[in-house]
Formats: sequence, structure tokens, C-alpha cells
Amino acid sequence: MDKDFAARRRRDLIIAAALAAIAALTPLFVKDVVVQNILILTLMYAGLSQSWNILSGYCGQISLGHALYFGLGAYTTELLFTKFGVLPWFGMLAGGVVSALIAMGLGYPFFRLRGHYFVIATIVIAEIGLLLFHNWEWAGAAMGITIPIRGDSWLKFQFLRTKLPYFYFALALCCLAWFVTWWLENSKWGFWWRAVKDNPDAAESLGVDVFNSKMGAAAVSAFLVAVGGSFYAQFVSYIDPESVMGFQFSLLMALPAVLGGIGTLWGPVLGAAILIPLTELTRFKFGGSGRGVDLIVYGTLIVLISLALPRGLLSLFSRPKKTGATR
Amino acid sequence: MTALLETRGVWQRFGGLVANSDVSISVGRGEIVGLIGPNGAGKSTLFNLIAGVLPPTQGSILFDGEDVTHMPAAARCQRGIGRTFQVVKSFETMTVIDNVIVGALVRNTVMREARRKAHEVLEFTGLAARADVLASDLVPAEKRRLEVARALATEPKLLLLDEVLTGLTPTEAQTGVALVRKVRDAGITVLMVEHVMEIVMPLVDRAIVLDLGKVLVEGKPSDVVRDPKVIKAYLGDRHAVGA
Repeated sequence: MDKDFAARRRRDLIIAAALAAIAALTPLFVKDVVVQNILILTLMYAGLSQSWNILSGYCGQISLGHALYFGLGAYTTELLFTKFGVLPWFGMLAGGVVSALIAMGLGYPFFRLRGHYFVIATIVIAEIGLLLFHNWEWAGAAMGITIPIRGDSWLKFQFLRTKLPYFYFALALCCLAWFVTWWLENSKWGFWWRAVKDNPDAAESLGVDVFNSKMGAAAVSAFLVAVGGSFYAQFVSYIDPESVMGFQFSLLMALPAVLGGIGTLWGPVLGAAILIPLTELTRFKFGGSGRGVDLIVYGTLIVLISLALPRGLLSLFSRPKKTGATR
Repeated sequence: MTALLETRGVWQRFGGLVANSDVSISVGRGEIVGLIGPNGAGKSTLFNLIAGVLPPTQGSILFDGEDVTHMPAAARCQRGIGRTFQVVKSFETMTVIDNVIVGALVRNTVMREARRKAHEVLEFTGLAARADVLASDLVPAEKRRLEVARALATEPKLLLLDEVLTGLTPTEAQTGVALVRKVRDAGITVLMVEHVMEIVMPLVDRAIVLDLGKVLVEGKPSDVVRDPKVIKAYLGDRHAVGA
């Protein structure tokens, strides 16, 4: 049994390495900039959704406010860069730390809430963050921040002539989020999170520090999402409140995980691989004003999935467990 | 020799309702003690006070020589109090072995050791064959067993069992009784709340009868069942005279 378990873990790692290697080679064959763009976004959302999954999937604290951490990552990086000349790499780290701290600060009161009340709180907090940035003159208010172009360089992490560096960073982010999840899954924290999700009272009686489990999950989750936000800001080189902190980001982090299988290792990657290209293609097909259409497409998709496969697409692949055989 | 568990003048009020009044009991090391009484006697409340779900309104609780009155449940688990729930609270989306690993992590920080410990406990409780099944797929008797297994994995000094034998078929109950004996033989003290007198009485060393929030009688099971006060509490005045 233990051997089975260890073998399964090793198999996951090998599959991930193989997929990453294949992904790393795609730019050799895919030269189309539009397609490259879709690949970058798919990898980014896979990583974001994987990070969201840590708090909401594993630990069961459903957040629909992760746009806040995405935006904080973007803003911290660009404010530090434009106002103080701090390199984006440090800004990225700073954004992650700021987001993790804020996630814990918010967790302190809100982790006392359970179920829907917690979800509502996350939505409200993210909206408040959005409004604050809308009105914060120093941070560009509604006008946002245009990232000054200083020429292609890894040091400043900006590239005009090629998208490849962004592609590889998005791939690295996705791999990092996956690996962190894989690693934590078989750790004390991973077990504590799942226990907290399933039954906090029972978890408490087994010595689980329920409150700090949630805090830990929130910090890891927010940190990784902020790194994603920081990357996105560099990638699009212009940010304003709506374009990095809007509610759609919260949804786009949650939906791939829900589609693929919430609280599973592979769910977010699978969900993102289906959902993001679909979203981008519908948006591309129906033009700039087609925003509503892509929302309709994946709204329909989510309805279908929740009707047919409430545990996500991955549940199609899991072996049926033998039940009721022995007493 | 001090008792493993002691409650001193414990009171619990819920608004105007007094669930426990001036309850002082003690449980010695290696004992199996039954906490019995009619519905609404305050058994579950006392049980929850000992497990640390809520602090008592008044009085104190001592465990292993330490005052744990205001200690939260998780900390009590670390001190060596394990419990089961009357309404089973399995981690439904996790497998049986994973459920037990959560308990084992209290004393084993290395995952491999926690896993080994969990397998050991599953072997001990007779659930080994079901290790890789989801907890939601267990039959009710197995879920009860899982509750016990999870608590045992925390390596408790005192195991609190909340109606683990209630609602089982006679055969299942007998297996349960055998398990409780095995637990005690492994050196773990047991305090059990139980409804079914004929199952629990032959099992326990000592019975404490609660009625209307107070300790009514305590003593050897054979004496307790003959006590007119106990019969009156369970069956009413009419039967007490006849006894």
C-alpha cells in the first residue's frame, strides 16, 4: 500500500516533468504570435488557478476575491519600478510578501466566518481594494500606470520583440505552483488543510490548529497569485485597477480548478488547458466587444459540468473505489 | 496516586438551563469508566467540557496533574485526550488511511512515520482492508470504528468514546466491546458515554450515573443497576418501588 502510494507520487512527478518538457518545446513549432499569446495566458491561469486551489480547493476556504492579490502583485511591482526604480524581480518578491501579509491580516477576522459568509467577505474585500486603487492618486488612480519601456532585457523583465521570455516565465510559474501543491499535498499542512475542509470540529479534536492552517494556506496562495499578477503587469506593460484587480480575475482563477476538479493536483492545469484557449478564441473570434460571448460560453460550460460531473473533469479518470465489500 | 482525569465542581449553564451542576468525578489510570444516564442528563455536555469544545461556566478540569480548564481542544489532544463524536465526523473526501494519518500527525512529524503509525492503528482496529477506500464509502459500523482509529492514532492517554456502541447490530456491538477491551489492554484509559446498559455494564469497571445534570450514583456496575435511585431516574417512581 505504501509502495502504491509512493509510486503514484513519483508517477505524478514524472508526468509533470514530461508535460513541462513538451510545453517548453512548443515555441519551436508555434511561431504565431496570437497562439503564443494564448499559450502564455493558459500557463499563467493554470499557475494562478493552482495557487487558488491551495486555499480554496485543499483547505476549502472558497475565495472569490483573489483578484485582490493579483492586483497587489501587479501594483507593488510597478509602483516600486516607476517610483523608486526597483527592478521587477524584487518587486515581484515584494508583491508576494505584501499579498501574503494582507491575506493573513484579512484572514484574522474572516477565517472565523464559515461557508457562504466567507465567500461574500472575499468578494467585498476585493471590491474595496478595487475602489481604493481607483481613487488613489499616487498610484495613478483610474488612469493606471504605464510601464516605461527601457528596451528588451531580462534584468528589467521586459521584451518588445519577442514573447518567448514571457512564455518561459509563465511556464516556470505554472510548474512552481504545481510543484508547491505536489509537495504540500503529502505534508502535515496538506493533511491538515483537507481535514479542515472536510470537518473543522473533528480536525480540532485531532490536534489540528484549524485557524493557523487556514492562515498558512492563505499566505502561500496569495503569495503565488501575486507573483502571477506581477508577471502579468510586465507582460501587458500597462495596468489600471480594472485590468488587474477586476472581478473577472477572481473568476478566472476559480473556474479552471472547478472545471478540472477542485482540491485535486491536476484539476487546475486540466481546467485551464480547456477553458483559457476557449475563452481567448471566442474573444478573438467575436472581436473586442465579444467579452460577453466568452462569458456565456464558459458559464454554459460550468453549468454543464456541475450538472454532469460535480467533482470536475478529473473524476472521469479516477478509478471507481470498491465499496461495501467487507464489514 | 492521582487520578488521570478529575473534574472539580464543574457547572455548565446555557442561559437558564443548567446542564451540569457541581459535577466532580475522577477517572483513574487504566480504568474503563462508563458515563450513563437518561436522555438530557448532561452526559454529552460533560463530555464536551472534558474534550475542550467549550469551557465550563464554573469549576475546573484537571488532566494528568495539569489544569486544562481553559485549554482548547487541539491542545488537549496534544496533552493526550482523544475523542470520538456521537454523530460521526469522518473526513469524507479523504481515504480511511488519510483520515487516520491526520490523527497520527500529532506525534509524528515525519510523514513516513505518521503513515506507518496509521497503518498500525488500522491493523489494530480491524480496518486495514479498507485503508484505501474513501471514508464516505464506509458502512456506519466502519465509520464508528474509523472514529476510534483516528483518535487512537493521536496516541491518547485517555480515550473519550461518545456512544460508539449505540445503534449497532448486536454482532457489531460485540466487536466494538472487544475493541474497547483491547484499547484498555494497550494501557489507555477509557471514559465512555453510553446508552445501551446491557452492553456497557459488563464492560466497564465503574459506572457514573448522571441525572438532571448531577452525579446521582457512582460505583461498581452491578451495584449501580440495582440502586433504586438509578431505576427511578430511568423508569420512574412506579418501578423503583417494585425493585
